[in-house]
Amino acid sequence: MTERNLPGMSFNEALEEKLTQANWSRREFLGRVAAFGAAAALTQLLVACGQGTASPSAAPTTQATPLGSTTAAATATPAPTPVPTPEKELFVYNWDQYIGEETVKKFQDKYGIKVTYDNFADEAAQIGKINSDKKGGGYDVHYPASTWVASFVTDGLIRPIDHSLIPNFKNLSAAWQNPAYDPGNAYSVPNYWWTTGYAWDPRDVPGSPTSWNELWNPARKGQMSMLDDIRECFAVGAFLLGFSPNTKDLGELDKILQKLEVQKPLLRKYTATAQIDDMIDEVVQMAHCWSGDWVQMTYTKPRMKYVIPSEGSIKGNDVMVISSGAPHPIAAHLWIDFNLDADISAENTNYIGYMGPNEAALPKIEDYIKGDKRLNPPQSVLDELIELEYLAPADLSNYTDRWNALRA
Amino acid sequence: MTSATAPAELDRAQARSREAGTGRSAATATSILVLPGVLWLAAFFLVPLGIMAVVSLGAVDPGGHVTLAHPGLHNYTHALDPEFLPALGRSIYYAITTTVLSLAIGYPVAYWISRYGGRRKILLLILVMLPFWTSYLIRTYAWMAILRDNGVINSLLLDVGLIDQPIPILNTDLSVILGMTYGFLPYAILPLFVSIDRLDFSLVQAARDLYASGRGAFLHVTLPLTMPGLVAAGLLTFIPALGDYVTPDVLGGAQTTTIANLIQVIFTTGRDWPYGSALGFLLMGVTIVGTLIALRSLRREVIGASA
Amino acid sequence: MSGRPSRWLTALTIATYVILFAPIVVLIVFSFNSARRGFTWAGFTLDWYPKLFNNADMLGALRVTLEVAAIAVVGATILGSLLGLGLARLRFRGSGAAQTLLLLPIMTPEIIMGISLLVFFSQLFGLNGSIGQIAIAHIMFCISYVAITVRARAVSLDPRLEEAARDLGASAVGAFRHVTLPLLAPAVAAGAMLAFALSFDDLVVTSFNTGVGATTLPVQIYSAIRFGVTPQINAISTIIVAVVSIALLVAWRLGAFRTAARAVVADPEVA
Repeated sequence: MTERNLPGMSFNEALEEKLTQANWSRREFLGRVAAFGAAAALTQLLVACGQGTASPSAAPTTQATPLGSTTAAATATPAPTPVPTPEKELFVYNWDQYIGEETVKKFQDKYGIKVTYDNFADEAAQIGKINSDKKGGGYDVHYPASTWVASFVTDGLIRPIDHSLIPNFKNLSAAWQNPAYDPGNAYSVPNYWWTTGYAWDPRDVPGSPTSWNELWNPARKGQMSMLDDIRECFAVGAFLLGFSPNTKDLGELDKILQKLEVQKPLLRKYTATAQIDDMIDEVVQMAHCWSGDWVQMTYTKPRMKYVIPSEGSIKGNDVMVISSGAPHPIAAHLWIDFNLDADISAENTNYIGYMGPNEAALPKIEDYIKGDKRLNPPQSVLDELIELEYLAPADLSNYTDRWNALRA
Repeated sequence: MTSATAPAELDRAQARSREAGTGRSAATATSILVLPGVLWLAAFFLVPLGIMAVVSLGAVDPGGHVTLAHPGLHNYTHALDPEFLPALGRSIYYAITTTVLSLAIGYPVAYWISRYGGRRKILLLILVMLPFWTSYLIRTYAWMAILRDNGVINSLLLDVGLIDQPIPILNTDLSVILGMTYGFLPYAILPLFVSIDRLDFSLVQAARDLYASGRGAFLHVTLPLTMPGLVAAGLLTFIPALGDYVTPDVLGGAQTTTIANLIQVIFTTGRDWPYGSALGFLLMGVTIVGTLIALRSLRREVIGASA
Repeated sequence: MSGRPSRWLTALTIATYVILFAPIVVLIVFSFNSARRGFTWAGFTLDWYPKLFNNADMLGALRVTLEVAAIAVVGATILGSLLGLGLARLRFRGSGAAQTLLLLPIMTPEIIMGISLLVFFSQLFGLNGSIGQIAIAHIMFCISYVAITVRARAVSLDPRLEEAARDLGASAVGAFRHVTLPLLAPAVAAGAMLAFALSFDDLVVTSFNTGVGATTLPVQIYSAIRFGVTPQINAISTIIVAVVSIALLVAWRLGAFRTAARAVVADPEVA
């Protein structure tokens, strides 16, 4: 196991000691842990094993060696005393425009660090890049969905975050600190979250629809679209039938497939990218979409509406992580801290229309976003929403087979 | 040389040239001409493809990674699922229709440019390519703006009074075929032009004198002599069309799914590289077999025209 | 000359050009659309053009795309033309296999080709994407198109012309340069144009080979879908069309096409 001079790792050092004492190899250990399947325990232990399996190569010499404590300090000043000298550059890999218009420029002006901000077209390219060399593909900061964190940690693709370098972490609301997929936020910081629902055009759709069943209405044949996403579509079917969107039961999956097959002839298309333009251009009247998509629609056609259906829906969030092979780790920490700043976080939200977990930013967020129950539902609604959990390949392939049967 | 004897002598000369291509200097010629391209393809295509072939024999472990712990053909048997047949059939249908349309439109256009383009031939060819030096996505969005219910075509037809209701063109088989034909037209026109341009039009004139009909001259002289161009254009249209998933995805609808789209999904949200690779290789196998059969039967029918 | 074309042939040709340019006209018109996205007209504005010039990402992507295309066109045209000529002219053991090899890249689903290159470059060489890596991939899949196009022309070349040149004292290289190459020139040029279009617009394979600071225009444009295909993208496409058109106009005025056409038209066989 590699020796790494990382702060506050006493728990993990102790755990590793225990492993050696118990004469368990890492593989054996992982095998037993997987058998338990208890989420919290699993992630806790995966974090520990992630330490040992992290790739030792290309670890930059400028390690994070903070002088302050690692706990989220009670200090009010945003800049920690003394910050180690950051590198001159930073490589960020993110969705296009998934950040405030001025954020990159402001960061560059504040720290004098040159930011190379690259975009990708879809999640496959993003995950492929992170995995490609097993340490982040040459980038410092990535923005994957939260469901990837656990496996990234196991594979040693991301490095732990030095909380002494991100004092703005305290701006996050308590509900977002210490999530189940990453206890103690050891490896990730939540970025933005979203819900899934559907948007509709009040000019064509009377009243206030609240049910997923509206997307099965034969009167609207050829005027509706669903997301081209296996999990999201099956989730809709699951909610309508009262199942969990994370179900592994083959019988339930078959019933969901039947439900979706009834819907297919009524749909105009399955798409994960065209729903915004299709609504704006009035190609469809109703579109299964994410909350952020709806906000984009309203920028051009303010009359469009969105609903989180009553049968239940999905929520999700993505995170900021630092590659284990990050060439500029200190700059990466500063970037994360910068985005956690109340003002910057509010600017980001106001530009892209996604709510973040940043409590301190709330006063600065525009009313039309934070006051909107669909973009910023009350906690009671949020608690009802379900996250799409990671599915093991064997289970996912059951979904995939039925999806292929549906689409072919 | 007289027109009547030229073709036969030409064939003999070409055969002689090919026979001569077996000596020492020919070996050097082979190396210089053929090796660089072949080596490049071997290094940057075959080797990576070989990696995927190995991957196709593997599986995905619980952590989501490709594992070769138990290699086997399970992905292939999994992929030989009759559920895929409708999508495969649709792909073949789109590809054939697109190819036929592209050749049917491309041939006359290439002929016109070659025969009547005169000084402006090259310019006309570049103009064919010019639209394709813009972004594919924005061109396709523009097509959506033209084809949709409230788009250019329907608005025009409604204004003129030819129709009462908009014709649903977008998100149907028709829009997919239109979009694909549009996209592949230059890949048909250019190789066709290249071959038609070689044509000795005095041969065609002589044939017209003999057959006394344009159609006969075309069928018995022009077409066979331009067969290499037709074959090239056909290959460069049909094969990529079979694997095109973007156009059916964007211009198509819920009912126009192609096999390429399903392969795409298996790799992305399905997160199953081995399975996706196996399905992809099966598709490639079908394509290779189909193409070789088509080429061989073409060769038999048109003697000596395609090498 | 060669007689007058039939009316329907000319009409079909004109109609084809109209259809080829129809979406281009639409996209140019909508580059002045004041709506932030969508192809629904909301009013006239010139704002997207200045915005585009301030968009370092987009312009950087354009520069990368042009660099890659330049390398890819040169590489693929040379390798592909030689290969096409060789396959047409020579009979050697394995020519059948070589011909099949040519067809394989065209047959391979792009996502498989892209992922295979990703694994190849990152696992075997530890490379994380770069302009060079993208260019290598582009040369690879463009060779087939060039080779097939050149071969279609080369198979109908009369080898007696080259023989005659050799008889008159030319070396092998000389005969190639002064006889074969000019006769092949249109096919080589056509192959080069195809290669450029392929490279310029490639998305899937490229997206798996991008690297830090090496993103191409198609990848950049596709990444913009989630948040808006703003008319900036129309603007950049319009500018590309405008620049190429102006270049063509200038070249035409300078008589470039007349000289090139003469090389094509002046066929020794016809003369």
